[in-house]
Amino acid sequence: MIVAARGNSRLPLRWSAVLAAAVLLAAGCTSGGRSEGGQATTPTTGAAQAQPLRIRLVATAKVPPGGLSAERAARRAAPGLERFLDRYLSAAFVDAAGGEAGWDGLLGLFDKPVRASARKQLDALSLGGAAPTVTAVRPGQATAKAVVLYGDQKPEAATVRVSFDGTADTAQGSGPVHLRSVLQLLATGDSWRIAAFDSRTGPPR
Amino acid sequence: MSRNLRRRGVVFILALGLVAAVAAGLVAAGSPGRPATAQAASAGQAVTVQRAHAGSATPTLKRRIVLLTIGSDSGAPRFGRGGSMESGRADALQLVVLDTVRRRGTVVSFPRDSYVPIPGHGTSKINAAMAFGGPPLLVQTFERLTGLTIDYYALTSFDGLTDIVNKVGGVQVNVDMNLRDHFAGAFLDKGRQTLRGSQALAYARARKTLPGGDFDRSRHQGQLLLGGLGTFQRQVAKDPTRVMAWLAVLRDEVKTDLPFPELLRLALLATKVPPGRFQNIAVPSVAGSAGGASVVRLLPGAYSLFARLRAGKLS
Repeated sequence: MIVAARGNSRLPLRWSAVLAAAVLLAAGCTSGGRSEGGQATTPTTGAAQAQPLRIRLVATAKVPPGGLSAERAARRAAPGLERFLDRYLSAAFVDAAGGEAGWDGLLGLFDKPVRASARKQLDALSLGGAAPTVTAVRPGQATAKAVVLYGDQKPEAATVRVSFDGTADTAQGSGPVHLRSVLQLLATGDSWRIAAFDSRTGPPR
Repeated sequence: MSRNLRRRGVVFILALGLVAAVAAGLVAAGSPGRPATAQAASAGQAVTVQRAHAGSATPTLKRRIVLLTIGSDSGAPRFGRGGSMESGRADALQLVVLDTVRRRGTVVSFPRDSYVPIPGHGTSKINAAMAFGGPPLLVQTFERLTGLTIDYYALTSFDGLTDIVNKVGGVQVNVDMNLRDHFAGAFLDKGRQTLRGSQALAYARARKTLPGGDFDRSRHQGQLLLGGLGTFQRQVAKDPTRVMAWLAVLRDEVKTDLPFPELLRLALLATKVPPGRFQNIAVPSVAGSAGGASVVRLLPGAYSLFARLRAGKLS
């Protein structure tokens, strides 16, 4: 703004005074906002630093004899797996803030024979009981390592090790959230379902 | 006011604004009235949002599953056994009854020479049922004999068993006797050991030099099956991606009517059912003869065993 004011040196004095007052007012508003404490500040800071969820996936494949090469099969399976993991981490963390969304979206990603167990263990799979106190989740690093069982021209199952780190904002301040999971996945045509899991959340060990 | 003076005035006012803005920011940052948590957050000290939680689950299948595992004497070119697996004789026969709720099970081994009624073919050795009508007739024979509904079958050959064991890196078995069987090529000492493919096959086939003959062989086949389960569990506990490796091997070496989703669920469930929760039983029977041929006749105890299995009292 100062540069712009310098560049516009032909402004009349009263306009210069108005501009200066605006600068002062703007400065005052910013600092005033900070001085109000964590409740207002943390989400603002969070919004400023928010990045989209981006999963770095490394996939390998086991293929039947005479079929696709393992490398090609892994490449074919990767986009669908990434989409699935994005849906999982969004439902479990990023979109779970506030708790308004509930968990039906997340539980819909589980195979029926394991869904009831997942419902009982949401705290180990997602923000869980902490969700209502969280105002926003800023995704950090998300990585996944998958071994895909490839069948006749399509994936059939996969084991995926998922690692997610993020920052959750609450009225009391911000803190890290983590997920370390092994998901056993069943391919369902156009997507995947979690058929078994071994998962933990909470502060880093 | 001259033009120069007016310019100087503008610069002065802007500079004053800048100084005021910086000062306001500094005051705000050092404000003593801010809540402690917010100060901690802005200073980079994190609050605990979520306590540590851990959880795991495998599929919950709310029913009994009965699987017939079959070792065919055909479809093994490396052993000089031509034809297809399905058209051969079923020389290794295990009925695996799994109680998925209580997570325990029973492996019942049947001697291949068990003399039983075969639908549409009178009474004959049970291993002939598959040669007469493939796996479906063998399944039907077992269902009539035991009164159990066989959910699925899994069929492999000599080559298949050898390859399965080699591809998974060997199977740990507690060999229950010293074996020196030239006929089957089984030369094993008593004790827990990891068998290679050819050793596993020899252990499953050895009969002629065993004190209990066919009965010992049947028990050994059940031990191999449970040894495979234990090996699978140990490998998966160390590396969960081994589930995919085992499924890939089974897919390549076993013919089954088990749909893939059910196979995966069973494999995942199997990671949580220790072999110690399985009973390995040879069906009560006795050597006999029929029409000049050596056969094995089931004893009354066999039928009470089937009744207990039907009632869910064993598994």
